[in-house]
Amino acid sequence: MKNWIVSLSVPKKLAIVAGILAILALVIGNSGNKNKITVNAKELSLSTIKDQDKINTITLADWLIKEKLDFTLVDLRPEKEFTEYSIPGSININMENLLNSDLKRNQKILLYGNDDVTSAQAWFILKSSGYKGVYILNGGLNSWKNEILYPKRSANLSPEDSVKFESIKQVSLHFGGSPQIQNGESTSNALVTPSPKVAPNLPKVAIPSATTKKKKEGC
Amino acid sequence: MMPYFKFNYFGVDTSLVIAVIIGIGFGFALERGGFGNARILAAQFYFYNMRVLKVMLTAIVTAMLGLFYFSWIGWLDLSLVYMTDTFIVPQILGGLILGVGFVVGGYCPGTSVVSASTGRYDGMIYFAGIFFGIFIFGEMFPILENFYNSTPMGRVTLPDFLGLSYGMVVFLVVAMALGAFAAAEWGEKVRFRITGRIKE
Repeated sequence: MKNWIVSLSVPKKLAIVAGILAILALVIGNSGNKNKITVNAKELSLSTIKDQDKINTITLADWLIKEKLDFTLVDLRPEKEFTEYSIPGSININMENLLNSDLKRNQKILLYGNDDVTSAQAWFILKSSGYKGVYILNGGLNSWKNEILYPKRSANLSPEDSVKFESIKQVSLHFGGSPQIQNGESTSNALVTPSPKVAPNLPKVAIPSATTKKKKEGC
Repeated sequence: MMPYFKFNYFGVDTSLVIAVIIGIGFGFALERGGFGNARILAAQFYFYNMRVLKVMLTAIVTAMLGLFYFSWIGWLDLSLVYMTDTFIVPQILGGLILGVGFVVGGYCPGTSVVSASTGRYDGMIYFAGIFFGIFIFGEMFPILENFYNSTPMGRVTLPDFLGLSYGMVVFLVVAMALGAFAAAEWGEKVRFRITGRIKE
C-alpha cells in the first residue's frame, strides 16, 4: 500500500487528495455559513403593513411604570450617547454586535435608536435571522424626548386636554423629564410638584440635564 | 475573517497594492504554465494539447476546495465574496463571442496580457484589439443597453439554482475534473501511439 502511494506521480497524488476532500465535502453538505439567511418576504411585509411591530412611546412609558418588564429594551445608539442618556432599563447593543449578542430568538425585543432608521434596519436583520418578537419604538429616542421627557403644553388648552396633559406630566416627571409650556419654559418648578407616589422602584433614571436638552424655542 | 477587504482590514489603497502583487503572481503562473503561447492555447480547441483544460480545472478545483473548507472552518464568509449578477442571454452570447475570439486569436484577454508582456507581437496586437473592442462597445452601448440588461437573474450560484448542497456541487465538480484529467491523459496516450508525438 505504502509503496503503491509512493510510486504514484505527483499529479495522481494531488488527484487523490482532491478526491478525498470532495467526498468529505459531500458529507459536510453545506459549509455552515451562518450569515446567509432566508427571508419570508410575505410574512415580513404583512407584519409591516399591519403596524404590529411598532410600540408607541406612551405605551412603553406605561409598561415601564407598571413594571411590565417581559421585554428587553435595546438601545442601538453608540456607547457614548448611551451613557449620556438612555431609557431606563435599556441595554446597549451596537448594530455590528446584534447577532452576536445575548438576545434570544424567543425573547421580546424592543429596539430604539435616535430615530426609526437604525431600529428599522436592526429589526430587519433580527427578523430575517429568526428572532420572533422584534418591535420598534415608534419615533425612537427623539419621540421619547418629545412626548415623554419634554411634553409640550400649548398655552390655552381645553379642559379635556388639560386633564390629558396632566397625566402625561406625571409620566414625564416619573422619568425625570420636565413638561414644557409652548413658550419653552420648564413648568416643573412653577406648575407642578412631583408627587412621591409615582416613583416606584424602577431602574435608576439618569436625569438629563435640562440646560443641554432644553428646546430652543421662542428665541 | 475573510474577505479581508469587506471586513475593513485595509483600505482601498492597500487593496490596490495587494491586487498588483496577486496579479503579478497570477501572470507569472500563467506564463510558467505555457499560457503565453497562442499555439498551446489554441491547440486545446483542436484537442492537440489538453494543457488548458488541465490547468483550468486544477485552478477551479483548488480554489473551490479552498473556499469551501475555509468557509466551513469559519475563516471566510462566502456570502460576502463578490459575484457578478447573472444576465443569462447576454452572457451566453458574450461567452460565444469570447470563445470565437479565443479560437481565432489564440488568447483570452488575460493570457494576451501575459503574452504581450513576454514580448510576443501577436499578444500585443491582440491586447490592442481588446481596447479597440472596448472602445467600440462603449460607443455602441446606448444601442446595446437594453439587451445588456435583459434576462436579469441576480446573484445565482449552482447550489441555489440546482437546489443541491454546496458539498454536493463540490463533489460533482471535482468528480468531473478528475474524469476530465483521466480522459485527457488517455487521449494524449492514444495520440502518442498514433502520431508518435506527445505535444503539438
